Amino acid sequence: MIAPWWETGALSPPGVLVAGLFVGIAFGACLERAGLGSAKKLIGQFTLKDMAVFKVMFTAIVTAMLGVFWLSRVGVLDLDKVYLPETFVLPQLAGGVIFGVGFALAGLCPGTSCVAAATGRGDGLAVVLGMLAGVLATGLALPTFQEFFVSTAKGGFTLSQAFGVTDGAVVFAIVALALVGFAVTSRIERWASRTST
Amino acid sequence: MTNTARNVLVAMTIVLAVGALIVGNPRASTSGTVDVTALARDIEHEADHVTALELAQWLRDHKSGLRVLDVRSDSEFADFHIPGAEHVALSRLASLKPAGGETIVLYSEGGAHAAQGWVLLRALGFREVYFLRGGLLDWMDDIENPVRAANRTADSAWAHQAELSRYFGGVPRVGAVPGLPSASVGAETAPAATSAVARAKRRGC
Repeated sequence: MIAPWWETGALSPPGVLVAGLFVGIAFGACLERAGLGSAKKLIGQFTLKDMAVFKVMFTAIVTAMLGVFWLSRVGVLDLDKVYLPETFVLPQLAGGVIFGVGFALAGLCPGTSCVAAATGRGDGLAVVLGMLAGVLATGLALPTFQEFFVSTAKGGFTLSQAFGVTDGAVVFAIVALALVGFAVTSRIERWASRTST
Repeated sequence: MTNTARNVLVAMTIVLAVGALIVGNPRASTSGTVDVTALARDIEHEADHVTALELAQWLRDHKSGLRVLDVRSDSEFADFHIPGAEHVALSRLASLKPAGGETIVLYSEGGAHAAQGWVLLRALGFREVYFLRGGLLDWMDDIENPVRAANRTADSAWAHQAELSRYFGGVPRVGAVPGLPSASVGAETAPAATSAVARAKRRGC
């Protein structure tokens, strides 16, 4: 059975919903277990006292990246059927800035706000509602900036294409970056907590 | 987590990452998918190829992102190739990756191999890809060694073709009747490439 199971028809529509439910529960549980359901944890990232967000994110990236690379290589995953989000340089730069401001202000991102809301945190619920309102407002206002929204389109554009190297080289570089990052962030944490007390 | 467990995980990560660097490609074999309808439409609308004149124009204008790929053999490429062309064997097309802003033109001797390469590249996800219609033979006839039939007037189209030809070092001539030996006007010396096309013509396409 070759993944992705939905694309290859190995999973029926109800099967996909059930699988999605379990993956979602596991995802939420991991975020909560890592402490990311608390805005304090995320604020700690911005003040460099707690690099858990960096570590959790890069652990997830490295695990998923190595998994996708090697599962594809041994023929268990069909990479061509995995959706590759399209790149729109300027709109995504602008969106990234807005997202970052919201992230720093709220102390929560879309995933962690759902986790925070599920555990009964009021700020989490507020961020979820605000996010939905923002999605709705953007959708309604879309016709006014449609042109910008689809500008600087690069299609499915990957790092290996941008740098003209193999996918394997990109995988290696990101793993190296993560491992060096883990070592450096642990030092930064110790340094930041020393200087603040 | 114990230090031992952590070290084991780090070691496994490094092994998998170095392995990825060595292996390079996450796909064991290169398999593409073809949108048959889209390809058929492009072929019907003649959006699959360029003529020798169009290619010459693109090369002279330094069309941005243009890559001209020669899919003939090494020795044929060494013998003669279109100025600025890269040599890429058909079997190596699979290692190419679509890049934004690139326009690829494939050519072979007669055009058949390049047209097949066109399908392969489209299957790999390339969009801006064309093959040279008539291949190198058409390039020789239209650019390197164009002949104006005596019964055809020297109109602006001929002037344009002759100008492109001279840009690429060709020698435009005036022939008596199509298909008959031509009489050279201007430079008497045949371009160096003529021998290459003569051989190509003998072999047929």
